[in-house]
Amino acid sequence: MLAQVRSWWRALTGQARLSGEMASEMDGHMERYAADLIARGVEPGEARRRARIEFGSTAAASEECREAVGLRWPNEFARDLRYAARVLRKSPTFTAAAVATLALCIGANTAIFSVVDAVLLRPLPYPHPDRLAWVARHYHDQRSEGEGLAENGRIWEAVRDNAGYLDAAVFSDGSMGVNFAAGGRVEYVKQQRVASGFFRVLGIAPLIGREFSADDDREGGPAVTVLSHALWKRIFREDPSIVGQAITLRGEPYTVVGVLPANFQSSTPADLWTPLRPSQNGEGGGWNYVVAGRLRPGVTWAQADTQIEALGAPIFHENGRQTSVRLHLISFQRGLTDDLHRPLLILWAAVGVVLLIGCVNIAGLLLARAAGRTRELATRMALGGGRAALVRQLLAESVLLGLCGGAAGVILGWLGVKALKLLAHDSLNVWQAVELNWRVLAATGCASIAAGILFGLYPALVASRLEIRAALGEAGRGVAGGRNPWPRRLLVASEVALGVVLLVGAGLLIRTFAHLRGLNPGFDAHNVIAAQLSLQDARYATSQRVNRLFDESLARIRELPGVESAAVTLSLPYERALNDGFQRLDGRHVDTEPQITNMFYVSPEFFRVLRIPLLRGRVFSTADSSTAASALVVSESFVRMYLRDDDPLGRHLDLGGGDKREIVGVVGDIQQKSGWGDGSPSSVMPDIYIPSTQVEDKFMQLVHIWFSPSWIVRTTGPAEGVIAGMQRALESVDSRLPFAGFHSMEDVRYRALAQERFQAVLLGALAGLALLLAAVGIYGLIANSVAERTRELGIRLALGASLAQAMRSVALPGVALALAGVVAGSVLAGFAAQLLRHLVWGVRPGDPLTFVAVGLGLLGVATAASFLPALRITRLNPAETLRQE
Amino acid sequence: MGKQVDILQGTLDMLILKAVSLGPLHGYGILLRIQQISKDALQIPQGSLYPALYRLEHRGWIAAEWGESENKRKAKYYSLTAAGRKQLKSERQEWKRLAGAIADVLAAEPEEV
Repeated sequence: MLAQVRSWWRALTGQARLSGEMASEMDGHMERYAADLIARGVEPGEARRRARIEFGSTAAASEECREAVGLRWPNEFARDLRYAARVLRKSPTFTAAAVATLALCIGANTAIFSVVDAVLLRPLPYPHPDRLAWVARHYHDQRSEGEGLAENGRIWEAVRDNAGYLDAAVFSDGSMGVNFAAGGRVEYVKQQRVASGFFRVLGIAPLIGREFSADDDREGGPAVTVLSHALWKRIFREDPSIVGQAITLRGEPYTVVGVLPANFQSSTPADLWTPLRPSQNGEGGGWNYVVAGRLRPGVTWAQADTQIEALGAPIFHENGRQTSVRLHLISFQRGLTDDLHRPLLILWAAVGVVLLIGCVNIAGLLLARAAGRTRELATRMALGGGRAALVRQLLAESVLLGLCGGAAGVILGWLGVKALKLLAHDSLNVWQAVELNWRVLAATGCASIAAGILFGLYPALVASRLEIRAALGEAGRGVAGGRNPWPRRLLVASEVALGVVLLVGAGLLIRTFAHLRGLNPGFDAHNVIAAQLSLQDARYATSQRVNRLFDESLARIRELPGVESAAVTLSLPYERALNDGFQRLDGRHVDTEPQITNMFYVSPEFFRVLRIPLLRGRVFSTADSSTAASALVVSESFVRMYLRDDDPLGRHLDLGGGDKREIVGVVGDIQQKSGWGDGSPSSVMPDIYIPSTQVEDKFMQLVHIWFSPSWIVRTTGPAEGVIAGMQRALESVDSRLPFAGFHSMEDVRYRALAQERFQAVLLGALAGLALLLAAVGIYGLIANSVAERTRELGIRLALGASLAQAMRSVALPGVALALAGVVAGSVLAGFAAQLLRHLVWGVRPGDPLTFVAVGLGLLGVATAASFLPALRITRLNPAETLRQE
Repeated sequence: MGKQVDILQGTLDMLILKAVSLGPLHGYGILLRIQQISKDALQIPQGSLYPALYRLEHRGWIAAEWGESENKRKAKYYSLTAAGRKQLKSERQEWKRLAGAIADVLAAEPEEV
């Protein structure tokens, strides 16, 4: 077998040499024979003549020899391609239309595939990435099914102690901004907290120094940090002696123990790493950890998975309530990209459907073209070309079209990738670079060839089913179109059906986006600036110290010209808020178990800055000091959910720690990203607000590990001067606290729906392309039938038919086909819409409005596309038409 | 010269393998050798010899090498490979089996059936 492939390859690559060898070998044969004949007394001239005659045709023998070494297919293929190129050059309009259609479809596929490849397919940049696992909680109950990607301290300890098949490590996913000071510079940098062994599990060794040891990673261990290559380069100019030296992080001295290599990427963008120090208490009491691991050598996924599931079973069983949860392993890549997995697969499918529609469209064009080429094809068959040869020739044409379209598509795809990057700037957390690499190009090449075969095969089979005599005898101008119109009609109807599927999908996502965009924010975002800074800082360990910072900085900011009001809040609207437990202590319902809700600490002016309406009672004032009675304000939906039957004012809640807090006011709801509950990107949640002065020291420290509070300022005019003023004001209070960056609240609002906008825009564009292709398909069909029936229509008009009658007879089939396509497509779309059920908000997957609007819209477009070409009949002069024939 | 026989489809390959198994030969030499061994009973159409040679070489049963012929001309010499030797052996057995079977059939007397 191998020998054959080698011989075939040698023959294929050395065709000229092969021909030369064969010729000289056969000439030698004839000369020897002639010499033998001469030796037997034949006259030399006659001997050579006889030798040649008896050998027969050397050309035929050579051809047979080439076939014998497997060169027949390649040779014929090359010939077919040359002929195809000539044919396509001769009909530039058709070629341009087909190549343009393909270029659009393949370009869109290339662009989307480059994202799919970067996020889902390309292996992670770690050694043996296929051995990296992520410990996930699989939950499955009546309402939902999915993966919980985070674990608590208890599960981590169970995995650490009992999962012998896994070299496991725990880390915190997501990085927090912290204050960094070294070499006279103060910066807000991204810190990720990881346990010892994190880098070992990923398979990455530090460039210099070491990673965290078990000793670094325990409570009370030394303050150490590992730097990213980029930070090391930017601040320390790649000075290797930094290892062992101290920098200031979070207001404390930290010793640098290592620097990572330049190409290293963690699970989240980070400038430096500090030890996680996992435990079962504090943050370890909640779902704040990610547990990952590398399968030990020789261990299979099934073995490790079984072990993980077994060690998780007692934990969830004991919990009682969560029996539908089990631990299992998913690939590390899947865990990293879980949020993008489904939307990307849906986009990929959609762009595939667009390509399919494009193929159907071109197949229709080819069928129409075959009608015009009947005589050419019949002649070829009459001259002895077999049907197979004819099909092959026609396929060569379509594959060549596919390749041309693919080449043009790569250029469009390259532009598409650039546009996607702009659009996806902060909505797709794209983990590896989105780029047109060889993988994407190979996929595009395969798609092009497959497309060529897909759209070419059917028309080629239809076209080659010819009655030669009839075809040659026919003068090429049949009466009511002698050819079977159904193949092309079916193609057009299926195009419409696929278009319906995409349009319904896009319609649902657009409705979702419009719904989320239209939700009442609950606050006035206009003229509000927000700036974050990190208080995870040793100098701000007490509530008193933090509140002094708030008071002094806010006082100075309020003095700035153009500032109307200023406040501090633990988190902003549209962000994920802190989830905290509370218990109702009095009223009609008293809790024995903590309930979960969103919690904000705020300074008194918070509600004024955001113009959140006060519905009952009062908001906070400076009188709510650390020594005053504990007060809290709740949101309208908190009352609706937990205090429906009571007067909320005067009720008491325990927020943990046994402190009794009284509800003094009720305010309006604001939009937030739900971290729990339905998982909607934007919705109102039950909220509790407490005065920042009444937060205990320990709690303050804990929440500042996860949240960087925001300074919010309402301005009376443009923000520019105010931003500089805010920076100066903060600097005069503490010169070592940097703001992370400034955003308008309108920006925050815009970014909150970035992924939904991205999905709606992208699927909308694809559906638009599908609609255009379907319209072009119908238009082509009708235009073609008008052209074919010119003579018949001329006769009809001459016999007294009205223009309207003639137009109807031509155009109505288009409308009828569209109607059939819409009906079939609606059924298909009903199934396809179920795939979107996790992505739609405020609209059901079976939304009747979307379906009806898409159906009517498509019918409208189809009617226009049918009657437009029929208008040509109005310019028909019956007498002239008949004379021409 | 006896009566000439047309070569059965498929036996040409076997004859070529046999011819080159006795020593490397060029194309014309193979033709001569087969004629000589068969005492001119087997006549090979000259045009079909080369496709058969290329096919056998493609399958790796014979190997070709350019060398110098008896009259100082360059010629392509074919020789049997190890795979070819195995193939020849199995073809010969197959042929014997077939020939034997046919002989049995032809030798059958009425009372034996």
